Amino acid sequence: MAGSRRKSQSSIEYLSIVALTFVIIVPTTYLFYTYSQESTDEISDSQLTKIGRNIMDTSESVYYSGLNSKAVIDFNLPDSVQSATIVEGRELVFNISTHFGISEIVFFSAINLTTDGTNCIAKVCSLPELWTGGRKKLKIEAINPSSVRINST
Amino acid sequence: MQKNKRSKRIFKSSSAQAALEFLSTYAWAFVAISVTVGALYYFGVFDFGKYLPQKCLFPTQFKCLDFSLKPTQVRIKLLNNIGEDISVTSISITNDATPPVSCTPSPAVPFTWSDALTQEFVFTSCSSGGYLSNERTELKISMSYYAINTPSMPIHSINGKINGRITS
Repeated sequence: MAGSRRKSQSSIEYLSIVALTFVIIVPTTYLFYTYSQESTDEISDSQLTKIGRNIMDTSESVYYSGLNSKAVIDFNLPDSVQSATIVEGRELVFNISTHFGISEIVFFSAINLTTDGTNCIAKVCSLPELWTGGRKKLKIEAINPSSVRINST
Repeated sequence: MQKNKRSKRIFKSSSAQAALEFLSTYAWAFVAISVTVGALYYFGVFDFGKYLPQKCLFPTQFKCLDFSLKPTQVRIKLLNNIGEDISVTSISITNDATPPVSCTPSPAVPFTWSDALTQEFVFTSCSSGGYLSNERTELKISMSYYAINTPSMPIHSINGKINGRITS
């Protein structure tokens, strides 16, 4: 009888400890998961802003260095980037997917930007090399006195 | 032989009784626990989202400086960090509820928003979509714009999110 009581007491203690652990772990996991999703969006946005400004600054630097000057930049593109286009030679547009919808991150250039002619339809040129995340290398080249070409190396 | 059979039956019957008692005891325990958990859920104890910080998330090109959620009104202050003067063609607010929250935005679109200036957006007459006083809510804000200096004026869109408590 005493042995059975001791067993049931230890069972109840074991169950209480397991229950208490669950009560702590489950909400904590949920809170950290939700918080980390928001942080992921903020980090991707910051990375993309840095990359876009780097492309713009390098393009201007190459342009003002004179004809045939070129530069190669490499960067780590966030996975949330879905596409990248050059609109009218002055807007570099990234489509980025976040947990609250798809946004366009736009960078404006003071000089005319272009890419390989095969990727251009009307005034929109796509940059297929920037449609997926990961390590990327871009060649930026002053191809004529009025424009700078951006394409993959 | 007969004695042996009877003793076997008695043994079987007592173990069946024990099993039934065990099941009925734990069934009551199961029902009690289910009711307790249901009550806790009903009173919002498991709504862990309310412990998250209140936040306004927008891309850094339209940095969210401040926001407030009042009954029937949402105010949000954004900074034009894009480096160009733009014209805002539409702005709307929604959420995941069915039907979603519905508000009237101001200022009226289209309007021009100069570079590096802040703009306060006020959404009034907010109703439905679970937009209730003292409740926690998550709102999605969509905005479309074009750059004034781009000749063909291509429209771009951005999305942001407000997560906070509606205070009266």
